[in-house]
Amino acid sequence: MFDRIARRIVRWARRKSPWILHFNSGGCNGCDIEILDLLTPRYDVERLGILKEASPRHADILLCTGPVTRQTRDRLRRIYEQMPCPRWVVAVGSCTCSGGVFHGGYNVLGGVDQLLPVDMYVPGCPCRPEAIIGGLVRLLEMIE
Amino acid sequence: MKLDLILEALREVFPSHTIETRRVPIDETIVTLPPECIRPAAQVLLKQFGVYHLSTITGQDTGGEIQLLYHFWHGQGLTLCTSLSRGDARIGTLTGLIPGAAFYEREVSEMLHVTFEGHPDPRKLLLPDDWDGEAPLRKGFSVCLPREGQRAELGEEGSQ
Amino acid sequence: MTRMTIPIGPQHPMLKEPLSFLLTVEGEQVVDSLLRLGYVHRGIERLCQERSYLQNLYLLERVCGICSHVHTTAYCQGVEALLGLEVPLRGLYLRTLLCELERVHSHLLWLGVLAENMGFTTIFMYAWRDREIALDIMEELSGARVTHAVNVIGGVRVDVDEKQLPSIVERLDELEQKIETFLGVIQHERTFRARAQNVGYLSAEQVCGYCVVGPVARASGVNVDARRDAPYAVYDRVHFDVITNNEGDVWARALVRALEAIESLRICHQLLVGLPDGPTMVRAPRRVPPGEVVSRAEAPRGELIYYIRSDGTDKPGRIKIRTPTLTTLITLPDQLRDVNTADVAVVLAGVDLCIACADR
Repeated sequence: MFDRIARRIVRWARRKSPWILHFNSGGCNGCDIEILDLLTPRYDVERLGILKEASPRHADILLCTGPVTRQTRDRLRRIYEQMPCPRWVVAVGSCTCSGGVFHGGYNVLGGVDQLLPVDMYVPGCPCRPEAIIGGLVRLLEMIE
Repeated sequence: MKLDLILEALREVFPSHTIETRRVPIDETIVTLPPECIRPAAQVLLKQFGVYHLSTITGQDTGGEIQLLYHFWHGQGLTLCTSLSRGDARIGTLTGLIPGAAFYEREVSEMLHVTFEGHPDPRKLLLPDDWDGEAPLRKGFSVCLPREGQRAELGEEGSQ
Repeated sequence: MTRMTIPIGPQHPMLKEPLSFLLTVEGEQVVDSLLRLGYVHRGIERLCQERSYLQNLYLLERVCGICSHVHTTAYCQGVEALLGLEVPLRGLYLRTLLCELERVHSHLLWLGVLAENMGFTTIFMYAWRDREIALDIMEELSGARVTHAVNVIGGVRVDVDEKQLPSIVERLDELEQKIETFLGVIQHERTFRARAQNVGYLSAEQVCGYCVVGPVARASGVNVDARRDAPYAVYDRVHFDVITNNEGDVWARALVRALEAIESLRICHQLLVGLPDGPTMVRAPRRVPPGEVVSRAEAPRGELIYYIRSDGTDKPGRIKIRTPTLTTLITLPDQLRDVNTADVAVVLAGVDLCIACADR
């Protein structure tokens, strides 16, 4: 019984304080500044318990932007491996979902789902902060 | 920029070469010189006329040759244009005169396989470490990257 | 003392974009640094050759999300010069208005990033909150906060209504007051000055030798500004001061950018007051006659130069882009020499990195 209560508490804590790690795998910066905008007073994503973390080891959710250039491919994979389970990946932006406007480039993989299992896609070029919050809220409901 | 004086000075320095000029938008004069004249011309521009600002070095593959354009600015735009052979594209570096040329030459070197003789740091600038050696801006380069079709097997998935 | 190599990036809390530094430190002082670019290289110049002039408009807007409008400005004015198009004056005024609003939003963004790197999170929050005013105005004009897609070859695709003007002017005044507050912080706040002064120094000789452009050059006393030196759009019709400073350190760059943001708001006022009537664009043909053009613009970070060559088809033969961040990145090893490890974050923020621009 204690085990069941402990698991409920852990699930509640996980849902109420999802810490994010933001990694730009070669994007134009549009989505990155919209992600940083989430932390600022107008959108204030901390009310959902979200903090932007510095180290992959502290993070639950990887917010990935950019169409994954060849040089960032191995680094992105290593960052994902360093994140402790359970971990989730949110692909923010059209070029992270599918390569977007850079599709077909010689240095571009085209979408982070070529490399990592993605749990939520947030399209947009760049996506608005409201859309990113919407994606995160739906992900948190999924985690439930 | 005293454009006429500069052209006169260049004609004095290279009496055996016919120096062609053409005007292009927006307020730019392009001066065509042979490759071995570029460094002495840059020296004349710097020492005699105080033209130190090199905006960038453009490299392009026109099909028959590799063209390099050195875009200078001094009140007006002045571009020095030269052509190198596709088989053996080499030219002297400008980094001794203008340290700011270092990054531009590194980029042209990796994108078009041009050798800048005497460059202090000829590493790749933008292309990744595992690049297989082709020059992306040369004609005949194939654009598509082989795709990693499968998702990487990374152990336990994130969602429950 | 033994030397140690510390890698910074590509994933690092102070970096918004992937960039790799290898710092060699001896005790607390940085002795040498090695820069590795290329993490954001998407091969845009090659992609441009495969797409038409119209498709390239959407691609070139996304070279950088922060200064997207000035990239398309430089591109469009180059192609318009090749086509011999005369853009209507109202279109040029609106194009210039968005260039200046973008400059304001970029400088406020930078101020927030610098403050956060210093540990001054309050200014980060305030600066980014006040930046929203500029983004709201740009959204009203264009429909998007970032990456506005306002420029087309032949002018701009948006227009501003007479009824919108009073509220825009009111908000510009509000923004000017807020930036004056930040200027006060930069000038008088002792901790800010202690962290930003005498850090990341560049002399005027170094700036000229490395061909640095933008606020970093102006903060070292080198008076260059493409808006005044190579006027484009309607910069020859508005009056503005080019802000310079002789200190050459990060504090000087902060002062230059804050004062430049205020100048930009004054330019916006002049543009809104003098906005002429008429159409905002002309139609452009698909095929561009053969030719070459060199187009310059002043991005928030400095001189942006585009070289465009046309072969007479509907796809460009070559588009070469040199962004201003590339000129400042080359100075980083010099700036980081003999700097304390704790100040590395401040030096990196001081040059206003935009690796997406530099790598293309």
